[in-house]
Parts: sequence; C-alpha cells; structure tokens
Amino acid sequence: MPRYRIQYSKRGPASYISHLDLVRTLERAFRRAGLPIAYSEGFNPHPRFSFAAPLPVGVEGLAEVLDVEMQDSVNHQDLAERLNGALPPGLAVLEVTDVSDNTLAPMAEFNAAGYIVHLDEDDLPGPLPSRAVQDFLTEEQIEVTRKGKDGREKIRDIRPGILKLDVLSQVSGLTMQLELKTGSIMNVRPEDVVEAFFRHAGMVVDKADLQTIRTGLF
Amino acid sequence: MEKQLEKIIRRVQKPGRYSGGEWNTVCKDWQNTYVKMAFAFPDVYEVGMSHLGLQILYGIVNGREDALLERVFAPWPDMEQQMRNTGLPLFSLESRRPLRDFDIIGFTLQYELSFSNILNMLDLAGIPLRSADRTGGDYPLIVAGGPCAFNPEPMAEFIDVFAIGEGEELLNDLLDAYLASRRSSEVRQDLLIRLAGIDGIYVPALYRVEYNNLGKINIVTPVCEGVPAQVQKRLVADVDAAFFPTRMVVPAIEAVHDRAMLEVQRGCTRGCRFCQAGIIYRPVREKEPEILLRHAGELLGSTGWGEISLTSLSTSDYSRVIPLVGELIRRYGSLGVNVSLPSLRVDAFSVDLAKEVQKVRRSSLTFAPEAGTQRLRDVINKGVTEDNLMAAVDAAFSAGWHSIKLYFMIGLPTETDEDLHGIANLARKVLDRGRKLVRSKGRLKVTVSVSSFVPKSHTAFQWEPQNSIAELKRKQALLRELLRGRGLVFKWHDPEGSFLEAVLSRGDRRLAGAIEAAWRNGARFDGWSEFFDISKWLMAFTSTGIDPDWYAYHRYHYDDTLPWDHISTGVSKKFLMREHLCSLEGATTPDCRSGRCQGCGLCTSLEVKRYLAGGETVASLSNTVQ
Repeated sequence: MPRYRIQYSKRGPASYISHLDLVRTLERAFRRAGLPIAYSEGFNPHPRFSFAAPLPVGVEGLAEVLDVEMQDSVNHQDLAERLNGALPPGLAVLEVTDVSDNTLAPMAEFNAAGYIVHLDEDDLPGPLPSRAVQDFLTEEQIEVTRKGKDGREKIRDIRPGILKLDVLSQVSGLTMQLELKTGSIMNVRPEDVVEAFFRHAGMVVDKADLQTIRTGLF
Repeated sequence: MEKQLEKIIRRVQKPGRYSGGEWNTVCKDWQNTYVKMAFAFPDVYEVGMSHLGLQILYGIVNGREDALLERVFAPWPDMEQQMRNTGLPLFSLESRRPLRDFDIIGFTLQYELSFSNILNMLDLAGIPLRSADRTGGDYPLIVAGGPCAFNPEPMAEFIDVFAIGEGEELLNDLLDAYLASRRSSEVRQDLLIRLAGIDGIYVPALYRVEYNNLGKINIVTPVCEGVPAQVQKRLVADVDAAFFPTRMVVPAIEAVHDRAMLEVQRGCTRGCRFCQAGIIYRPVREKEPEILLRHAGELLGSTGWGEISLTSLSTSDYSRVIPLVGELIRRYGSLGVNVSLPSLRVDAFSVDLAKEVQKVRRSSLTFAPEAGTQRLRDVINKGVTEDNLMAAVDAAFSAGWHSIKLYFMIGLPTETDEDLHGIANLARKVLDRGRKLVRSKGRLKVTVSVSSFVPKSHTAFQWEPQNSIAELKRKQALLRELLRGRGLVFKWHDPEGSFLEAVLSRGDRRLAGAIEAAWRNGARFDGWSEFFDISKWLMAFTSTGIDPDWYAYHRYHYDDTLPWDHISTGVSKKFLMREHLCSLEGATTPDCRSGRCQGCGLCTSLEVKRYLAGGETVASLSNTVQ
C-alpha cells in the first residue's frame, strides 16, 4: 500500500497533546478528511503511522515527520489540503512526499534535532559568565541524572549527544539554539542540556520555565 | 493571563485538560454575543468530556445567535495549587476568560460527591459561595441542573436557580427570560422572580422552609406570588424532533468514554425500586431508527471517532436494537468503526447482541443481578431470575468470553446474611458453568463487585434508612470470606463514601454550612478514592452541629414532608408508597413496556406518553451488561 511522508507542525494548544493522544487525534483527522489509512493486522488493529522521535508534551514542533500508509494512492496536494481541513488548531501539514520501499522509517532515518530554547528575563537566575558556552562545550563528559522507568535514578553522559549549542540572544531573556542527538540510538532532551549548562555556570534554572521549540529533524 | 497560563500549564500533569482547542469547539465573538454562559462540570476534564448532556447543551446554546456556551472543568489538585499560588482565576477553555466575566454559569449535578468541587470552582472563580452574598455585585447567575437537582436542598444556599428535568427546551426558556430581564434592566431579585415563573425552574431563595419540633420539615412555601408551590420537571415530548448534537467536541486527551454517543432512547420503565434514574427520566421515549442512522452518519463524519456507543439506561430494551446495530455495522464496519453497547440486560439475547458487535472477546462481560436471592431481587423489583443469569453466562462462555463481572448491591432493605450467601452461591455457580464451557481454564475469572445501597430521593426506597458503616463493613468482610478461591475476585467500595452520598442525597437546606466547612477543611474530588477523606466531612458536621447519622439512618414516615417534596418528577408519591409496600411483601410490578400500566401517574400528570419505536416488546427481563 502507498506510503507518504508528511511534514507537519504542532504548535499552540496542540503542543499539549501527548504522543499517544496525537496518534488518536491524527487517526480521527484522517477519518474526518475521508482519507482511509491502512491498519495493522491482528486483534487490535493500529493505524500504520510511523513517527520520528516523539515531541515531549509542551514542546512545539515546527517541522515534524510522520510516515503514513494509505489504503489507496492519493495526490500529495489533495492529501495535504484535505487533512489540513480536518486538523484541530495548532496541527498543520506543511509538505507531503512519496516514500519509496527502501526508505528507512523516520525513527531510524532522523537521528538529530534542532531546538530553540527561550527563558524569560524573570526566570533567568543571573547573567551568563562570558565564556559559559565554550567552557561547557570543552567538557569531555556531562553527567545528568534522570529517573528511569523502574523509578531508579540513572546517571549518564550526554556530552556525545550535544552536537551544537549557541546563545542566540540575551535581549529580553535568553535564547539558545541546540542541536542534539535524537531517536533510538541516543536521545538527549533539550531541558536536560540547558539545566546542565546552567549548573556548569553555577546557576539553577527551573526546567518548567523553558519555552522549547523543535525546529527540525535531521 | 495568557502568559501566566502558559507558565503554569507547563507545571501540571496533563496540560491538555486546560489548553482547549479541541476539534468542533465553538469560539464565538465575545463582544457581539448577548448572553455568555459557561458550562461548569464539577469533575476533571476526562470525566466531563464523557458526558452527553454537556455536548447537547453546548450545541443548543452555541446554535443560538444571541448566546454562547464555553466549557470549564474542575482543575485537578495540582492545577488548583498552581492557580492559587499565582492568583490565576478559573477560566473557560474556549476564550480563556475568567468565569467571573460570564453572565451565567451552569453546573451539572451528576453525583453528590462532586458538591465540594462546585464550591471550589466558585471560589477559584472569585465568586462568593452563597447566593445571598451575590445579590449586590454584578456576579454571574449560578444555575444547576442534572439528576441531583431533584433534591436540590443541600445545595440550595449556593445555587441561584435549579433547572429540574431535561434541559433541551428549558435552557432556551431560561436564556430568553434572562435576555428579556436584561432588556428591562431588572435587578437580580426581579430576574429571579421572572425565572421562577418558568416551568421546571426552582429558585430556592423564593421558598421558606419551616421545621417542626422533631427537626423534620413541616412545610415549604413560596415567599411571593408567581412562584409555584411545587416545581414540575421538564421533559422533551418528542425525542425525534429534539436537538441532538452531531458536531460533538472531540477531546484532545483521552476521555473516560472517548467515543461517539448515540442516545437511542430516554427513560427506563423496568421500575427497579432503588433506581432514581428510572423515575426521573420517565416515561420511556424511543427514537426512530432512521433518525438515529442519520445522526450516526453525521456524528461519525464530523468527529472521526472510530467507535459509536448506543447509550441509554438499558439499551437492549430499545425495541429496534437488532436492526439498528445490524445497519450500523453494515454501513460503518468496513470503515473500521466499532459499535459498543454500554448497558444491556442479563439474558442470552443481550449476549447475542454483544457477540454481534464485539468480534474479538477482549474484555469481560458484566451482568448486574444486584441481589443474591430471588426473594431480595423481588423486593427491589429486579425482574431477573437465576435462570436468566445462567442462560446469559452460558451464552457468554460459549461465545468465547472467559471473564464475567457480576454487580451486586449490599445493604438493600430487608437484606439478611442469607442474601449475602446467595451472592456467593451465584458467583460459584457461574464459575462452575465456566469450568464446563471455557477452554482455557487458567483464564477463567468471575469478579464480584459490590456497592453499598444509597437511598435516593423520588424512589420507592426514599423512606428507607441506609445500613450503618459498621454493618456494611461486616457484610463486606463476610463476602470476602465467602468468595475466597481460585477464579473468584471480590471488589468493594469504601462504605464511607456511600454514607456521605446518603447524607447528601436525602439532606435538606441545613447541610449548607457543613458542605462549606468540609470544603474549607480541604474536601475535593470526593468521588475519587485517592482524595476522599471522610474525616474532613465528619469534622465539618461536628463544627456545624449537624448529625450526619440522622440524615443517613433515620426512617422517614409516609406522612413526613420530605425535603424534596416540592420538586415533582411527575410520578406520584402514592405510587412510590405502593411500590414501597409491595417491596416489603416481595411483590413485583411488571414493566410498563409490557402494556400493563403501573399507575405511576406520570403520563396523565405530564401529558407525555411512552413511545416505542418498534411497537412490540422484545423481552420482559431486566438488567445490565457492560
């Protein structure tokens, strides 16, 4: 059955839709649009969606990727328009392309993502030291702790997952640009990086204050 | 406000509960709409979004040019904490405006244990809790409807206007009167008197309650002219012509019942003597299959839901259920749409229906015999026999189900330990059938779930006391002993919640202080076992001089004035007395579908007739499957 790659954005109220709920939301949107998607076989059929690394709840995505298998071929423009007419506010299709049979699934193909992280002035613990970025990036190891699924705290080194870190602006708050590994091999969360960055500079930020946008997947 | 909200929403679980923006929401022009109403559901988003009444009223009000309706749900405790810390007032999901800016706030009273949430929502909105304290400022009018409005008295001090009965027509009348009142620049008191003149509207402040020296109610009288001595419930005479929402709001995060709801009928005529819904939604009114199919098509098309549920109090009683289910499957099955049946009777017919709609026997089937012996089932008029149950479970096991749930009530009037042994015996018989019929014996499971009887207003058991908490606990312990063994699972609810439910459901106006004190003690989400704390309520009763035991445990006499006597369901009190007397003799009353009138008095008093779409009756057995 024909597969299509859909580039979409997930912003505003839609950024609060969890990944599981997004699957339901999209399935319903395809139904409303009268675009029959293919389902898995078995007792509990699932829509044949294949996503890149899920967006955390509250993070906006400007160019997310979804592969979908349809029951019938459909014109790209038609698919985009009809789906856009059936998506709730904040979700929008940007582009539709073909996916050939030998294309990797998005989860395997995209292993890095770009982020913009903003902190309001009121939420900044203080001015950044002048060489904060260089100092942080010269570290060979950056350890963060995170609770695993079993509830135990795990320490791991995220330095190899940080591909790029820049301060874009310090006018009215702080805006940073990050490029981090994502996907099944190594997945680094932007909030962990920003928290570690501030800790390295001797400061503490509240992760919940970060306004994060995923700008794209590579 | 927007910025503040964005900040706190990142700090709570499930921010989708507060973000709005769901498919099919209606955002109207605030400035150019005359009446702004908020529908307030006093429970969490996922529960409220499962409620059909919300979708109906949302469609009706937003369908008017001069009015808008926006939604608000009870914030989960983590959100409440954030709101209180930052001073963010309770806001609507559509326009994110403070509730204080609306003209009318309508609460739905679905269960007594949500009362503390209503007070909490008013407080979070910055609105005085008591109606008497709202007369001065330009506060929104606080309206409440739903089943618990049939005994509105415990909430009478907090609510300005109760809407009694079905809301489809009543809400339009209320909005029209509100507009007319505003055009005439009436003060709040004149508005209330105007509203009290509408059929089905009860304005508690316009009634005086007098008590006798025994502490019981002597008489309830209107304080001025034009206010009816008794308020008759409203109902929709023609359910086919009534508004039905086919553009339902599709929740953004998974709701408890996240599916299209197609209401096939209203009312239930079986006459179970403990059941309040069976009285307040009388008479039974079935919808025509053609109308239902049209609504189903529109509903599925506009929402994209992959499941459609045929809702009603007892869907297998709907006389055209077989052709309807068949046609729905024929039209939408190939599109991946499942049909679900939330409430079915205990019989083989219902299992056949369940078989029809559920191709894979994933979940368990639930039957509700309610009582363990035939004697007690006759007392409660649950027209189901052991043979019915065995036929149903045989059919279920043969069809591939291996898990059966049985619902019972304990503490029913006249119950003895023999009836509890009866519950255990029934469960074991069901298990024995399973051993014969189920192939994978290891997966065979019979779950017995017991709830505690709560006497409800407007039922044949309204005069009856509830069992004490200690007695209910003893009965639960006995059942736990009797239901030990492989393949049996026993589930029960804490009796403290049922006790509070009884106090509130049979209570009167004097409870207001205690309800407010309980809320001040921190009572929230009392229907949720993780939050419910009876000690907050017991402290509140003590500090306000209320004896809750009296409300739950005293037996009302037939000649007592009941706190809800001035609210009429259309069913005569004489009928309820007769039913109560019959129950004590174990005499049953047949379903009025059978054509034999029970004489409840409703059809004559409300000039509405029961309506059966199929003409003929299907079967004369009662009960529910889930």
